[in-house]
Amino acid sequence: MTKKNSLFTWIAARFPVREFTKQHITGYYAPRNFNFWYYFGSFSLLVLLNQIITGIWLAMEYVPTADGAFASVQHIMRDVRYGWLLRFMHTTGASAFFVVVYLHMYRGLIYGSYKKPRELLWLIGMLIYMTLLLEAFTGYVLPWGQMSYWGAAVITSFASAIPYLGKFIMVWLRGDFTISGVTLHRFFSLHVIAVPLVILALVFLHLTALHYVGSNNPDGIDIKEKKDRAGHPLDGIPFHPYYTLKDFMGAIVFLIIFSIILFFAPKMGGFFLEPDNYLPANPLQTPEHIAPVWYMTPFYAILRAIPNKFLGLVAMAAAIALMFVLPWLDRSPVRSIRYKGMLSKIAIVIFVVSFIGLGYLGIQPVSPLRSAMAQLFAASYFLFFLTMPFYTKYEKNKPLPDRVTA
Amino acid sequence: MMKYLIFILLFLINSIVVAEEVNIALEKVHINLRDKHSIERGAKFFATNCMACHTLVYLRYNKIAHQAGITYEKMPINVKSWPYGITPPDLSLEANVRGVDWIYTYLHSFYVDPARPTGVNNLLVPNTAMGGILAAYQGQQILASDTRQSRLIFGHEPQWYDKLELKSSGSMTPQEFDSAITDVVNFLAYAADPYHNEQIKIGYWVIGFLFILFVLAYFLKKAYWKDIHKKYQDKK
Repeated sequence: MTKKNSLFTWIAARFPVREFTKQHITGYYAPRNFNFWYYFGSFSLLVLLNQIITGIWLAMEYVPTADGAFASVQHIMRDVRYGWLLRFMHTTGASAFFVVVYLHMYRGLIYGSYKKPRELLWLIGMLIYMTLLLEAFTGYVLPWGQMSYWGAAVITSFASAIPYLGKFIMVWLRGDFTISGVTLHRFFSLHVIAVPLVILALVFLHLTALHYVGSNNPDGIDIKEKKDRAGHPLDGIPFHPYYTLKDFMGAIVFLIIFSIILFFAPKMGGFFLEPDNYLPANPLQTPEHIAPVWYMTPFYAILRAIPNKFLGLVAMAAAIALMFVLPWLDRSPVRSIRYKGMLSKIAIVIFVVSFIGLGYLGIQPVSPLRSAMAQLFAASYFLFFLTMPFYTKYEKNKPLPDRVTA
Repeated sequence: MMKYLIFILLFLINSIVVAEEVNIALEKVHINLRDKHSIERGAKFFATNCMACHTLVYLRYNKIAHQAGITYEKMPINVKSWPYGITPPDLSLEANVRGVDWIYTYLHSFYVDPARPTGVNNLLVPNTAMGGILAAYQGQQILASDTRQSRLIFGHEPQWYDKLELKSSGSMTPQEFDSAITDVVNFLAYAADPYHNEQIKIGYWVIGFLFILFVLAYFLKKAYWKDIHKKYQDKK
């Protein structure tokens, strides 16, 4: 026995290394028919890792005070060796996180990954999404540019629309009567400690729940129903080495696209880094046009589509809340869009068009035509969810295959 | 599925339109961040002409300033009060805030306006607080007569040179002035992203490395998945 092995044996006698590896990596059987859409879960883990590592190094040089924040970001960009690289990795990573998470959620939507027995898995995922929005928002304030400042002012002012307690809650959130250095400092604390801890805990729960119920697949049929003599699903293959290698290959393609943006267009024409955020925060000068970063704009558009501020806020909250209850709105006997009826297919197309349409409108300045379009898209967004119990129940589905296809 | 991706792509490459109440079009400037001499000429011009008022706090600019004979005490950052109470903006990040075309157009579109306390006005920023310090090089421009403007194609916003004409010439010919301003814009683009050239260079290496790694990963995956394909091929 080699020395390395004896160390391993020593640890294995005291810690379930073998059992853990077996249960979650080499002995975790995943359906063999994962397609393109199944990359985005592991990509989100990769981006999470990127955000944590680059974030640690950025926090070493960043100064969370109203006087020092903006200059410290420029110090990172100019004077810290490869500081620009760390910061661009972090800013590009923030947008990439939402790209992969949105595609990951879309995968769940089309293949019915939220349906029984994966309702809790979906709910934990939704909580991760919400926490991620909070993380992105608190992080966006830190460079203390004009958009950071006024974005924070607009978003925290949502709280003031709550009847009676609104003003009080807003001041409590800000820690001051306006957005100030106090707000910046607490957002820094939330961004680097509180929210990341919650995200990591939720990701752990998400993976635990996933490995307990098993992965869904593009056919939406249960692979655990047909097992071989050893008790492994007939259509399941060990996660390692098959999916680790497949995801590794996919991750390189992802990193190539990520690097093209990172090195050649990190500002993404003003979408990832906005021109106004190169101006230091100025409480006395409101920018002409305030819009949140692209990943929040669908909900922002719903908020603006409704003329009353409080009702707009309620609609925005409802738009997110409906995603949470998706598992109970879908009453179809089949999971995957492949075997659902025509109505479900049309509904998904309408949903995608509405969501992207709202996202686009949320970036643009308000005009009467755009407001009308936002109202239309908001209505179709809500109808997608609210009519789901009916069209999923009464439509004609295709027969499910016996085993997974291709 | 593809439609969804295309939507996202279109959505990302669309640029943000900021509404501004200005009635001239921006002129495209062609700068080259790898042209070191142009940046140096721009830096020299900037130090001689602009640094009396404008700071560049995020660029380590003391050296340039000293070469131009500006000591720390005389640097604009130490000026307590400015005429009309308007502090000239720091220009370290101006190329990122406004864009290079904007700076290029702005610096070209000053004209004589006796109604202004500075004696000059600007087409791009009406009633700008900046004085006409460039007139010594460019010469004095005045608003052109209506006959010239009427020649414009309807529906297109005019360029500065459609609306202005040179009344008296300065120390530079229009070509010399244009290239001097291009150098200044190039310098300011450098000042906004001084790491730009390094960024592009590293980018090619990283992406090249990833391509090689992809080829290896692809064949590794293929070799392992051979068993799986074989296993399920037999079943059919």
